[in-house]
Amino acid sequence: MIQPQTHLNVADNSGARQLMCIRIIGAGNRRYASIGDIVVAVIKKAVPNMSLERSEVIRAVIVRTRKELKRSNGMIIQYDDNVAVVIDQEGNLKGTLIFGAIARELRQLNFTKITSLAPLSRRHAEVKKLGPSCPGFESFPR
Amino acid sequence: MRLEKCWFCSSTVYPGHGIQFVRNDAKIFRFCRSKCHKNFKMKRNPRKVKWTKAYRRVHGKDMTQDSSFEFERKRNRPERYDRNLAENVLKAIPKIDKIRVTRDERHHKNRMKGKKEKLQKEAAKELEQGISLVKAPSALRKDPSLTLPQKIKVSVSQRQSEDNNAMEE
Repeated sequence: MIQPQTHLNVADNSGARQLMCIRIIGAGNRRYASIGDIVVAVIKKAVPNMSLERSEVIRAVIVRTRKELKRSNGMIIQYDDNVAVVIDQEGNLKGTLIFGAIARELRQLNFTKITSLAPLSRRHAEVKKLGPSCPGFESFPR
Repeated sequence: MRLEKCWFCSSTVYPGHGIQFVRNDAKIFRFCRSKCHKNFKMKRNPRKVKWTKAYRRVHGKDMTQDSSFEFERKRNRPERYDRNLAENVLKAIPKIDKIRVTRDERHHKNRMKGKKEKLQKEAAKELEQGISLVKAPSALRKDPSLTLPQKIKVSVSQRQSEDNNAMEE
């Protein structure tokens, strides 16, 4: 439930540390943004000497929220903080590394770069290590 | 689909139940219901909360080590589907359950061994100390061996039962 004035942490190495949401991209008077939504944000804290500076207006996609994410299979997931990843106008990642867990919803929304860079869970790592030789590789939930 | 264990109370979480909390270090905590979730948020240690399985194991109320627990070990390698294997597993699950339950009962019985004698000894002592509640002290002074209430035998004759039937009608 991210709205304007919400402070978001940043989960990549683009140079920003903390963002403040200004606007939610999408339908007109949309009140809240959740995982997978793009927001316009201003950089409140930045790492010195990088491409992004403080008080720069950029776009970001939300990857973790404290508000629960409900899945259609009944699973409810809640993270520990509100985190976003910096993006450019086309939707490409600004940074090159992602930190922390990423929800699977982002894969469906064409943020494949983000999901591919995200660190794997233990089961995923096992399957990936074994590769196509692993029984059940094709049917493994991605 | 996977049946998970609640982090707080160790009961199984079925699909569609409970909440998963992902901490910033990517550790996932699964809760079976909001009771466990709220206790977690209160930073309670499940090993100190009496109704959780963790407490019971730590304090020796429930079995800790048993070969039947090996069947429920978490495996991260996916298995290729084999119909025979699946059938055998489905047949084996209730058997293993039954064995585990009998072992649990045995453990409980061992734990409670000697409880009956202990209760009886305590009851006898209490009777001895509090006999004044049962028999008046004057009666005891007259006959000091009157500590236990005496058993009175009453013989029931056949005719009495016939009378009772008449009353019921």
